[in-house]
Amino acid sequence: MQADRNQASLRASRSAHWIGRNIGLLLVFAILAAAIVLYCAIYFVQQNTLPGNFELTSTVNNTMPLAMSGLGQAIVILTRGIDLSVGGIMDFTNALAAIHMQDNPLSMVVWTAVVLGAGALGGLLNGLLVGYGRLQPILVTLATLSIFQGVALRVLPEPGGAIPPRYTAALVNTDQPYALLYVLAAALLWMALRRARIGVALFAVGNDEQSARAHGVDVVRTKVIAYTLSGLLAAAGGLCLAANATAGDATSGNGFTLTSIVAVVLGGISLFGGRGNMIGALAGAFVTTMIVNILFFAHIDPLYQSFYEGLFLIIAVVLGAALGGLLKRGRG
Amino acid sequence: MSATEPTEQPMAETRSRGLRISKDNWRIVYAFLAAILLFVTGEFVHPGFASLGSIESILTIASFVGLAAAGQTFVILIGGIDLSSPWVLNGAAILMATSSLGQDGRSLYALALTLGMGALAGAANGVGIAFFGAPAVVMTLAMNGIMEGLTLGASSGMTCASCASYAPPIVQAAVHGTFLGVPLALYLWLAVIVIVSFALSFTRFGRNVYAIGNNSLASYLAGVNVRATTVILYMLSGIFSALAGIALVGFGGQASLGMGNPYLFQSIAAVVIGGVYILGGRGHYLGAVAGSVSLVTLVSVLMTVNMPEYGRSIIYGAAILVLLLLYGREQEEA
Repeated sequence: MQADRNQASLRASRSAHWIGRNIGLLLVFAILAAAIVLYCAIYFVQQNTLPGNFELTSTVNNTMPLAMSGLGQAIVILTRGIDLSVGGIMDFTNALAAIHMQDNPLSMVVWTAVVLGAGALGGLLNGLLVGYGRLQPILVTLATLSIFQGVALRVLPEPGGAIPPRYTAALVNTDQPYALLYVLAAALLWMALRRARIGVALFAVGNDEQSARAHGVDVVRTKVIAYTLSGLLAAAGGLCLAANATAGDATSGNGFTLTSIVAVVLGGISLFGGRGNMIGALAGAFVTTMIVNILFFAHIDPLYQSFYEGLFLIIAVVLGAALGGLLKRGRG
Repeated sequence: MSATEPTEQPMAETRSRGLRISKDNWRIVYAFLAAILLFVTGEFVHPGFASLGSIESILTIASFVGLAAAGQTFVILIGGIDLSSPWVLNGAAILMATSSLGQDGRSLYALALTLGMGALAGAANGVGIAFFGAPAVVMTLAMNGIMEGLTLGASSGMTCASCASYAPPIVQAAVHGTFLGVPLALYLWLAVIVIVSFALSFTRFGRNVYAIGNNSLASYLAGVNVRATTVILYMLSGIFSALAGIALVGFGGQASLGMGNPYLFQSIAAVVIGGVYILGGRGHYLGAVAGSVSLVTLVSVLMTVNMPEYGRSIIYGAAILVLLLLYGREQEEA
C-alpha cells in the first residue's frame, strides 16, 4: 500500500518534472496548434473552404529561411551568446547563390556547397572572435553584421541574379510541401547531436561556463562550433530565401536577425542559455509565419507586421518568464 | 571642443591610486587622439579636409551620433543595451514633421509630443526589463520592431498627406543657424555634454548608475532603487534618440523611412570606441563624444576618397573589431 503510493507519487513527480523541463516546447506546440486553428477559422469564414495543399505548401516554403536561421540562432543562444550577424550572412549567401548558380546539377551541387561553406566561414569568424578573442558576442556579431552586409552589397549591388527553377523545385517545391522533409531532417539531426558529446557540451557551456570547464569541456571549441553551425544554418536559410524569390537581394536577409530571435523566444528556449529544446525554434518559426498569415487574412495592413512581431516577442518573453517563475514556486 | 577635459573625474580617482589619469580615462584620450589623427589623415589625402568649415560640418554630423550615443551610454553603463534607437529616432523625426505640419506655431507642441513619444517607448523598455525580467537585447529589439511597425503603419509607408511636411523653419534654424560663427547644433550638443557629464560624475544619480553597472545586487542591498533607476535610464535613452531624430529632421528638412538605421551601429560603436565597458560600470559619456567624432571623421575620410557604400560598411565593422581586440577583451578566467 505504502509502496504503491510511493510509486504513484514518484511517477507523478517524474511526469511533473518532464513537463517542467519541456514546458517551453509544450507551450510552443500549443501556440502553433491554436494559430493553425485560428488561421483555418478565418480562412473558412472568408473563403468558405478550408485551406488546402497550396496554403500548406506556401506556408512551409515561407517558413524555411526562418526555420533554418532560427535553429542556428537557437544553438548560439543555448551557449548564452547571441548572433546578430544572421541577417548579414543571409544577405550575402542568397546574393552569392543568385549570381553564380547555373541550371545544371553539377553547378547546383557545387554552389550549394560553396554557399554553405561561405556561411560557415562567416560563423567561424564570429566563433573565433567570441571564443579566442574573448569578446562580447553582441558586439562581435554587430560588427560582423556590418561586414557581411558590405560583402553582400559588393556581391550584388542591385537585386537580381537568378535561381534555376529546378533548384527551387528541389529546395522549396511549390507543388507539394516536400520542404517539410528538411525540417524533419533538421529535427532528427538535432536529436542525434544533443546526445553526442558536442550537444552535452553546448548545454554545459550555456548553464555554467566555469563548471563546464572544470568538467573537461573545451569551452572555446564549443563556442566556435556553435557560431559556425549558426553561420552554416543561416547560409541554408539564405539558399531557401533565394530559392523562394528565384533571385537574389543583398538586403532581403536583414529582417532575419530579429525574426530568428523571435522564433527562438517563441520556441521556449531560455535567453540566459543552457535551457531549451532546439525543436522549439523550428516550431517557433512556424508560429511566426502563421502570425503573418493570420494578419494577412484578418486584413491588417502589412505595414504593421513588425509591430505585431515585436508585440508577440514581448508577450512571449514576459509570459515565459512568468510561467517559469510559477513552476519554480509550484515545485517549491 | 572646450568641454573635453577627460582628466577631472571623481570616478577615476577611486581607481587611479595616485595617477591623475586612469586606464579608463586614457581610452577617452586615445579616442580624441584618433579623431585628430583622422583629421590629419584627411587633410593629407584631401587638402582642405581639416579647414574650419569642414571641421564644423563634421562636428555637426557627429553631434547627431553623439545625441544617440548619450542614451546608449546611459543604458550600457548599467550593462544594458538599447537596440530600439533606430526606429525611435526615425519615428520621432517623422512625428516631428507631421505633427508640426511645418508651422512654427505648432513646433512647441510637436516638440513635446515627440520627446514624450521617445520617453514613452524608452520607459516601456525599462519596465519590461526591470519589472518583467525581459533581457535588454530582446526587449529593445522587440520595441524597435514595434516602433517600425507603428511608424510605417501610421504614416501608410510615408504616403500620408502630412508626411511631406517639412520641419518647422524655427527647428531648422535651430540646427543650421550659427552663433558667433559656430553652428547652433554644436551648442545643443555642448549643453548635452555638460549636463550628462555633470549628472554622471557629480550627482547621486550618476553614482547609482555606476553602482548598478558594477553590481546590481550589491547596490540593491545598499539601498539603490535599481528598478526605478533602470526605467529612468531607458527613458532617457528614448528621449535622446527622439532628440537626435528631431535634430536630424531639422538638419535635413524632411524625414524619410530608414533614416534611423545607421544610428544603431554608430551609437554603439561610438560608445565602444570611447572605452565604455559593454558589461557596464566603467566609462564615461566624454568617451562616447570622442568616439562619435572619430567615427564620423572616419566616415568623412572614406567618403572623400570615394569609398563605395559596401567598402564603408566593411571598414566600419573591421574598425570596431580591431578596437574590441585592442581593449574590449574580457579578463581570462583562471
